[in-house]
Amino acid sequence: MNLFMTLVLALTTFLPQQAQQQDDKARQGTYAITNARIETVANGTIENGTVVIEGDRIIAVGENVAIPESARVIDGSGLHIYPGMIDSGTSLGLTEVGSVAETNDTREIGDINPHMDALTAVNPNAIAIPVTRVSGVTTVIAEPSGGLLPGTAAMINLFGYTAEQMTAGAKSVIVQFPAEPSGDRPWWAQEGPDRRQERYRNNMAKLNEVFDRAVLYNQIVSAYEADPTGKERPVYAPEMDALRPVLSGEVSLMVKVNAADDIVKAIAWVQEREFPNVVFSGVNEGWRVADRLAEAGIPVLVGPILATPTRSSDRYDRAYANAGLLSEAGVSVALRSGESENVRQLPFNAGFAATYGMGKEAALRAVTLGPAEIFGIDADYGSIEVGKKANLFVSDGDPFETSTNILALFIDGFNVPIDSRHLDLYQEFLNRDEGRLQPVEILPADN
Amino acid sequence: MYSFRGILRGAAFCAALVWLGGMPHEAYAQKNSPDIPVVSNVVAIENARIVQGPARVLQSGTVVFRDGVITAVGRRVDVPYDAHVIDGDSLTVYAGFIDALSHTGIPEPRNQGQPESVPDRSNPPFDRAGITPEASARTALDPDHGDLEKLRNVGFTTIMVAPRGRMLPGQATMALSAGTNSSEMILQGMQPMFFQFTGAQGVYPGTPMAIMSKFRQLYREADRRMRLEAMYAEDPSGLARPPYDAVHEAFFPVVAGDRHVLVWTDEVLEIHRAMTLQEELGFSMILTGLEGGIDTVDKVAGSGLPVALTLDLPDQPRFAAKLKADSLQHILDSYDDETRTATFRDVEAEKENLEARQLWSRSRYVGMAALYENAGIPFAFTTMGVSAGDVHGNLREMIEAGLSREAALAALTVNAAALFGASDRMGSIDTGKMANLIVTDGDVFDEDTSIKMVFVAGQMHEPSNTSLGNRSRDRAEASTSNQ
Amino acid sequence: MNNTIRLFLIALLTVGFLTSDAHAQDVLVRNATVLTVTNGTLQNTDILIRDGIIAQIGSGLRAPRGAEDVDATGKFVMPGIIDAHAHIALSSVNEGTSPVTAEVSMEDVTNPYSLGIYRASAGGVTVSHIMHGSANVIGGQNETIKHRWGATDPDDIRFDGAPRTIKFALGENPTRVHGRRASGGSGAIVPATRMGVEQVLRSAFENGKRYMEAWDAYNAEASTNPRAVPPVWNERLEVMADILRGEILIHCHSYRADEIVMLTRVLGDYGVDRITFQHANEAFKVAPELAEFGAHASVFSDWWSYKFEVYYSTSYNAAILMRNGVVTSINSDSAELNRHLYHEAAKSQRYGGLTDDEALSMITINPAIQLGIQDRVGSIEIGKDGDIAIFEGHPLSIYTIPVLTYVDGVKVFDRENDADDMRVDVDPSAEVGQYEGQVTGRDHMHSHEEVADLMSFFQSVADVDLPHAHTVND
Repeated sequence: MNLFMTLVLALTTFLPQQAQQQDDKARQGTYAITNARIETVANGTIENGTVVIEGDRIIAVGENVAIPESARVIDGSGLHIYPGMIDSGTSLGLTEVGSVAETNDTREIGDINPHMDALTAVNPNAIAIPVTRVSGVTTVIAEPSGGLLPGTAAMINLFGYTAEQMTAGAKSVIVQFPAEPSGDRPWWAQEGPDRRQERYRNNMAKLNEVFDRAVLYNQIVSAYEADPTGKERPVYAPEMDALRPVLSGEVSLMVKVNAADDIVKAIAWVQEREFPNVVFSGVNEGWRVADRLAEAGIPVLVGPILATPTRSSDRYDRAYANAGLLSEAGVSVALRSGESENVRQLPFNAGFAATYGMGKEAALRAVTLGPAEIFGIDADYGSIEVGKKANLFVSDGDPFETSTNILALFIDGFNVPIDSRHLDLYQEFLNRDEGRLQPVEILPADN
Repeated sequence: MYSFRGILRGAAFCAALVWLGGMPHEAYAQKNSPDIPVVSNVVAIENARIVQGPARVLQSGTVVFRDGVITAVGRRVDVPYDAHVIDGDSLTVYAGFIDALSHTGIPEPRNQGQPESVPDRSNPPFDRAGITPEASARTALDPDHGDLEKLRNVGFTTIMVAPRGRMLPGQATMALSAGTNSSEMILQGMQPMFFQFTGAQGVYPGTPMAIMSKFRQLYREADRRMRLEAMYAEDPSGLARPPYDAVHEAFFPVVAGDRHVLVWTDEVLEIHRAMTLQEELGFSMILTGLEGGIDTVDKVAGSGLPVALTLDLPDQPRFAAKLKADSLQHILDSYDDETRTATFRDVEAEKENLEARQLWSRSRYVGMAALYENAGIPFAFTTMGVSAGDVHGNLREMIEAGLSREAALAALTVNAAALFGASDRMGSIDTGKMANLIVTDGDVFDEDTSIKMVFVAGQMHEPSNTSLGNRSRDRAEASTSNQ
Repeated sequence: MNNTIRLFLIALLTVGFLTSDAHAQDVLVRNATVLTVTNGTLQNTDILIRDGIIAQIGSGLRAPRGAEDVDATGKFVMPGIIDAHAHIALSSVNEGTSPVTAEVSMEDVTNPYSLGIYRASAGGVTVSHIMHGSANVIGGQNETIKHRWGATDPDDIRFDGAPRTIKFALGENPTRVHGRRASGGSGAIVPATRMGVEQVLRSAFENGKRYMEAWDAYNAEASTNPRAVPPVWNERLEVMADILRGEILIHCHSYRADEIVMLTRVLGDYGVDRITFQHANEAFKVAPELAEFGAHASVFSDWWSYKFEVYYSTSYNAAILMRNGVVTSINSDSAELNRHLYHEAAKSQRYGGLTDDEALSMITINPAIQLGIQDRVGSIEIGKDGDIAIFEGHPLSIYTIPVLTYVDGVKVFDRENDADDMRVDVDPSAEVGQYEGQVTGRDHMHSHEEVADLMSFFQSVADVDLPHAHTVND
């Protein structure tokens, strides 16, 4: 039986009394998914239980819960319920076709762009969004890139028609931490070691200057806001305005850093500057300095996991093992795919991390409650608990397992149809010529 | 159009040229100045230790040469009355070294900027594609080129000089390392076709694979044209005139087996490529360079191809530069492939282990010449891409790693002479051969030895700085002149 | 130190590092779950490899003297994985100077030292089809290699007896490299459009045909006329003639349905019928036509949208093709993906519900068919090469771990016992312990060598901007 048929059957079986659902519209309402195995993440596994959703929230979870009369009941027998997965680093929604510049909104002109807000440029109708969410990934961080401070990343839910509908509440200002060049000229470098060293020092100096000025600006504006009487109006500096919540800790600072030596320097840098709310992202060589990251208490967004080792002398499976080694050392870990159109690979990244040392439980946490906690949205996201947002999916198995299918999906309480362009094309072309009477011919060119 | 910076750089370069050019004249102006009349064309070096060839040593003897040709050598030799006599007590005489391949004496092309663009880069003119096998080093040789003296000062009297360029820059020639004009320097004999895997810039052939194809194309079409020409020469009646161009014609003697192809390889894959072409097409080949050709020893030995190994060695990694030989050896011996870098706890141990591995790797390069010796391959040496000032230091490292002094000397003398069919003229100190000699104050492979005199075709040259011990001297000079 | 001792040490180290002498061995794998691919799954089964060939499959087999004994209880054995599209083990990839470069061959730039060989075998890969890039409409000839890690002579990693293959490329890559250089400036040549691509193909085939006929005519005449004049030698047209003679299999980089059908038309006109469409993201749209022509497809599991010509594609491509009777493989085209092709194949179960055997066939027997080596590899059968991959856990599960890989009965990967640092050559001058960056699936970059190769090519072309390097290699 092919997947499409499975889906059609699944939907009709689950929602027998909901004929109007055939219009493929996402709908909020009252839903009860019954008799399913519930992976709450926060409170263990309920082997046979029910989840009740009302509006955008989960209102009941447990083995014996009352099902409201108005609820549309989905029979989850033999099925599993998981919290929607969160990808802690993507460019989903900001880019449509990789090589077509006009469809890419990740990179603004200039080096210092903390005020560039990813949420503004996310295209709610990007074709990749439905393609992604039907894999059970309901929420992602969309990141600008390029320059020293590429912009402000946004946590978005993968359903909605406006930024307001999509935002999941968290933002993070990105710093691309300068990478110190080695003495060798890498294969791609056009400049000699001295030039690259100089560029590195300049970048580091520039980064420090940005934050020195941000501190000063914050003092000025704070004083002015407290009492403007008799004070000159502060200058207009949107870059600095964007950094004020970083200094206060209201918004996190996402430091992109990969090489072991650079990670050590970045730890010292964020400690010296006493940023109250910091996460590191990328962290390819985090395992090499896992003790220092743990000691510093800095959470990390690790990935992609499906990557080659960072050194030719490294064991072949280092990138797979990185997240597990960090987790084992006591570092708080969330996973990121680093993808745009293929964020649907997040569960597979998690699966590899799980296999190569992290374990299934920790890996699942690293794509659900882990990132929700890191970004301070765990009151709403990351687990199946009463009062949280209804971001969850129903599957026929472990969502990391490659052959598993996602059968139903809720985002913000919307029962989102399992549909995407990829599925549409499958449906159209699997038996393309069913309606054709004449045989298929390949015409010679001259005819 | 000149930029201000360009002018500055040009001025600095000119200053450096003047400075470099000034040195040699001052150095031997006392004895070789042309305004002093020459009174004798005969030289006798008396009572010297004479290393006639590898393992052919006269502990005390005399060598006499007239008009650039050795007339006598032995324990007891009559010294002609008109000889300029040099007291060889405490001196050692060697046959002059032969560099089996370099660009020494060939000026760098003036226009090093962007290559000119062509209408169809898939089919560029031959010269734009770096294919000029009809050219010759003989016309490009500059007797005043500063590199000649540098190479002569470390003992080289003869060089197989190849033109500069890309895939097929032209024919190489044997030349002396001194002479007032190129006619005095150029030697009769083999003029092999120089070939290297250097692609053209932005046009076909750009990559090694296209160079392989282009070589096959040129060779096979030359083969066809040669047969056509023979047919046409015999009887042109009714035949279309065979096509002509200088490039294919330059291949005719290669196809006929009358001209060698001198191939430069500077990494191990190029060795395989060169051998593949030779095996497919069957031309006579001299294989040179072979840097990193540690794993190809057996294959090269089996092929029986004549070989000239590079005198280059990889730089020490930075961590090793400060360490002494003993501690390096200690690190090298400590390598352990059982070591696992399982977690952050093992990172320090990993670094030490990788350093050991790195030293191991370099030790293979250093030991390569010894491997070729042990495999019974009679190789010569080439200085291509090597600073003259590094030659003796590198030789000493190779000897330390197991290369015998005899094999090293053979590579620099008799083997190179044999490689180019010139054993009857050079490579050893024997009556009738050219008076290409080195006079030292000790074993030429010892660190504290100095080269006192170099005779090129009987003409004496005294190096300005004679010590062979200071490995970095030449490099320091080079970096000065670049500023 | 004494020189003899030193040499001895070097020799000792050399032996230590270069483990593989690449000679065939005897191996007995006992008590495994054997995924034969062509004959179903066998429980508790032994496999005996003798002299590098699968000699027996059964139970209670006895190890010959000296054979390596592998207890595979609880483990899965599958045929060595075959990657029908790779760019590892090459020192250059694209001769991007001409729209037709049929004469160049990856045979001449095969690099046995490339660490990518080992890393792929650590994912169960034993055979790779290492290909010319996609800059040219007719690129160079490819090479089929065996992952005999530790070999140092390029000849020692070749798949002896594998048919010759050649790379073609349609669509955006050749039109950008040749037709749209400097925005259609002075350096631009045909093709700039898919129309031009067709004409470049037709012209190459026609010239090849005429060349072949000219030589045939000459050879016939030469037997009677000693003054017969041979045609001008042409390495490029020699290869085109060999394609026409059916001696070279075509592997064509392609994406759009229309261009795929176009090539089948051209091939039909010249009587060439052995073709595998590589990538072929839109092959699903013309699956019936491909089945009719007998063309094969070698596709990505889920790559799309990285360029415009893959925007309208679906991860169900492989499943649709398989269900329509097209011989289909899943390839990597990447130094990252080739380490988990078993996982790439498994995605066809999520995207289209293929069976285990169908999914596995796409990385074993199907690519073998596409490379013309199906009599030697691609399934576990008596008489086939001893190329096997042993997994802990079913290879299609996300939780599987490849643990042992054998090529011709020689162990090339051993998860438990291999050193961390498996390089065969080590740059003696490099800084120790430097961060070198990562290749990820996202990069669509195949290896550092190739990207470097491309960069240097484009830097050497005076009037061209550096392109998105990744899109020319695939």
